[in-house]
Amino acid sequence: MEAGQGITLAAISSHLLVGLSRAMILFIVSSGLSFVLGVLRVPNVAHGSLYMIGAFAAHSIAGALGGGSLGFWSALILAPLFVAAISLIAERSLFCHLYEREHLMLLLFTFALMLILGDLTKMTFGADYRSIMAPEILQGSISIFGSPFPKYNLFLLIVGPVVAVGLWLFSNKTKIGKIARAAAVDREMVGAIGINVSWVFAFAFVLGCFLGGLGGALVSPTISVTIGMDHNIIIEAFLIVTIGGLGNMWGAMVGSLIFGITQSFGVLFWPQFAVVFPYAAVVIVLTLKPTGMLKSVW
Amino acid sequence: MLYVRELKKFFGDFKAVNGANLKVEKGQLVAVIGPNGAGKTTLFNLICGQLQPDRGEILFNGEDIGRLPPYEICRKGIARSFQIANIFPRLSVFRNVQVSVLSQQKLSNRLFQPAARLAVESTNRILESVGLLDKKLDVAGSLSHGDKRILEIAIALGNEPDLLILDEPTAGMSPEETSTTMKLIQRLAQEQGLTILFCEHDMEVVFGTAQSIMVMQQGQTIIQDLPEEVRQNREVQQAYLGGE
Amino acid sequence: MLLNIFPQKSFGVSVGLFILLLIAPAIIPKFYTYILAVIFVTALLAMSLNLVVGHGGLFQFHHGVFYGVGAYVGGLILAKTSLPWWVAFIAGPIAAAVTGFLIGLFCIRLNRLYFGMLQISLGSLLWVIAFRWYDLTGGDDGIHGIPIPEFISSSKSSYYLVLIILCICLILLYLILKSPFGSALQAIRDNPERCAAVGINVRRHQLAAIVIATFFAGVAGILFVVVEGSIFPELLFWVLSLEIFIMCLLGGWFTFAGPILGAAVIVSLRTFVGTYTEYWTLILGVILILLIFFLPEGLMGYNFLAKFRSWSKRAAASSVD
Repeated sequence: MEAGQGITLAAISSHLLVGLSRAMILFIVSSGLSFVLGVLRVPNVAHGSLYMIGAFAAHSIAGALGGGSLGFWSALILAPLFVAAISLIAERSLFCHLYEREHLMLLLFTFALMLILGDLTKMTFGADYRSIMAPEILQGSISIFGSPFPKYNLFLLIVGPVVAVGLWLFSNKTKIGKIARAAAVDREMVGAIGINVSWVFAFAFVLGCFLGGLGGALVSPTISVTIGMDHNIIIEAFLIVTIGGLGNMWGAMVGSLIFGITQSFGVLFWPQFAVVFPYAAVVIVLTLKPTGMLKSVW
Repeated sequence: MLYVRELKKFFGDFKAVNGANLKVEKGQLVAVIGPNGAGKTTLFNLICGQLQPDRGEILFNGEDIGRLPPYEICRKGIARSFQIANIFPRLSVFRNVQVSVLSQQKLSNRLFQPAARLAVESTNRILESVGLLDKKLDVAGSLSHGDKRILEIAIALGNEPDLLILDEPTAGMSPEETSTTMKLIQRLAQEQGLTILFCEHDMEVVFGTAQSIMVMQQGQTIIQDLPEEVRQNREVQQAYLGGE
Repeated sequence: MLLNIFPQKSFGVSVGLFILLLIAPAIIPKFYTYILAVIFVTALLAMSLNLVVGHGGLFQFHHGVFYGVGAYVGGLILAKTSLPWWVAFIAGPIAAAVTGFLIGLFCIRLNRLYFGMLQISLGSLLWVIAFRWYDLTGGDDGIHGIPIPEFISSSKSSYYLVLIILCICLILLYLILKSPFGSALQAIRDNPERCAAVGINVRRHQLAAIVIATFFAGVAGILFVVVEGSIFPELLFWVLSLEIFIMCLLGGWFTFAGPILGAAVIVSLRTFVGTYTEYWTLILGVILILLIFFLPEGLMGYNFLAKFRSWSKRAAASSVD
């Protein structure tokens, strides 16, 4: 455990920042999952696949546009839109016919979607590892407490809260956001006042998937994009929304912070089992509060 | 046998039950009446443990049962039916009743004994007494609404209760079905010496059968007395006729 | 005395099938013997899951964990200790049942979906440990070439072992399902609130069912080690768990033997489709969507549905009269 010897303030602060920026990615992905959970009450198992597709699509778009700054910024916008389009097609062609059915069927449908999208991604993009360059302005690192910290991670630290505030404004200040929130609590009532609940659901589903795709596009410069990244992120996102409180957006934020920070400090203290730390944190949280830190919407 | 004193249950700001008092003596047929939303079902849910009271006490045979979970209250001798037909839709009619008989005989945890041979007689006897014996092999979910309600009472009887609580036993029934059901309830009370507490919308039914009537309004008990006294009571008349 | 509780018609079919399977290894090629053994192991796993899902109504989303725990504990004892072989065969299922009890204790307080999500979370914790603890578990490679006791190491003898244990387990599961315990469990599935009101301690009953189901999953786990001679973390991965779920759905969850059929169909398809294409999961996904839309009660449950429809028609007709 050689890492244990060099625990300095610099190491702690840099791990904290890395953990925070990881938490922002996790937040963006899991807030999408949580949003769908809150409104449709279905854990979207395919959410991880959409994250993966977001990353692959970002790579392809950035590559097609020459890989420079222009490529990156367009990919950041277009890739999530591409993901949203896929989810809209899946929702309108098949998923929407299941709303009247048992809940379990909705869940199993998203599982089927995950299986299909996973293989389709492999067919389309191949199984190679690939990576994206961040735009020049976000390359390199700056020094914090004497240790280098990548600029791209700082960028993530800004994007995360922006998304959180945006999502909060959307669901509290806009009409459709309010309707979606009401549908989460009482769908009969929303249906009774003459709103097409099916379209509210479609909208919530697509928005959630958009956030999943955005997470994938944002993460692509920091990791190698490959098949199988969907399986891990979905478990992490599940855990985060479970400890945060199902369907609660701020819960997703709290859960992401717990998850990201315990993970990066785990790397600092016990690298081999770094991934165990967040899981242990989950067990502790759920022992104390079985239904999550913040109030679940249902 | 059953005493409810100053029982209260709030849901946030909404005072669902706000000072309910009730007394049920052994062998009596007691009715709870009151307008919609008066808190009758909530009161029953409190007595049977589906809900926990915020204040007040529920004494059954001298013992406070206010904080017990439903299954323990049932084991103390209180069985109930629900307002909406609450049966086991995928099981046969026979097995619906058998589940509660087995539970009553403390056999539910047996692992390697065929259930088909246990408690057959008692189950058949109950089915016969409510008139469902010829339908015993039907899947419960396929019964008519009236039969489902009867089946519910049969399930409750399987527990051989000292006190049987029926939440609007005739809700959704045709007038004919209502009168057969009420006759059935009266017969059960007489033949088996059952104590029955029920709530009901239909005033005729209530005044025709109950020996004691408790009136609720906005979560509160206005009066509990003999049917004639209740009929005379001015507060009750106000509650039902409104204003004045 | 016990025999006459089995329905006569399917009893005859089962005995016939059993005899057929007994002589099968003498006739069919070795590879098919192996595939049949894999089907048996998977069928037992799916049957154990269906006890809590189809008959218990619980969202047991991460059943694979208990299969994996049984396999790992048994496999590690065989591979890393000098304890006699039967210790592994006992320890595997018991470890699975203990894990089932502990995880169940956590989850049982929660309702439906929360139960399932929490189970996936806690199960993934065990998966991570198996995945990362290289010194003990061999990490993501797992452990291969586990020494199997000689008398069951050939493909034929392991086939017979698996077949016999499967039959014993099926009989036990059948008895449990037809017992008062099983009856109460099905009643809980149909209506937990009503069950509590007839004096059944719903949570305790469900927890007991989970322990029983996870025990049988552990048996399947140790049988997996016998058939494959290896253990690897995918056994504990949640994707496998949902695949087993599909098997129950495909065969018919409200039937007794449905999961066996489901396991047989999925394992054979995976084996034979897998030789033509690497996109097996795509096909599995399509199968699942077809099931959801057209056969929600599964292959064996289909009859039930038709009967139910004709009943409700009759009920509707009689109410019109």
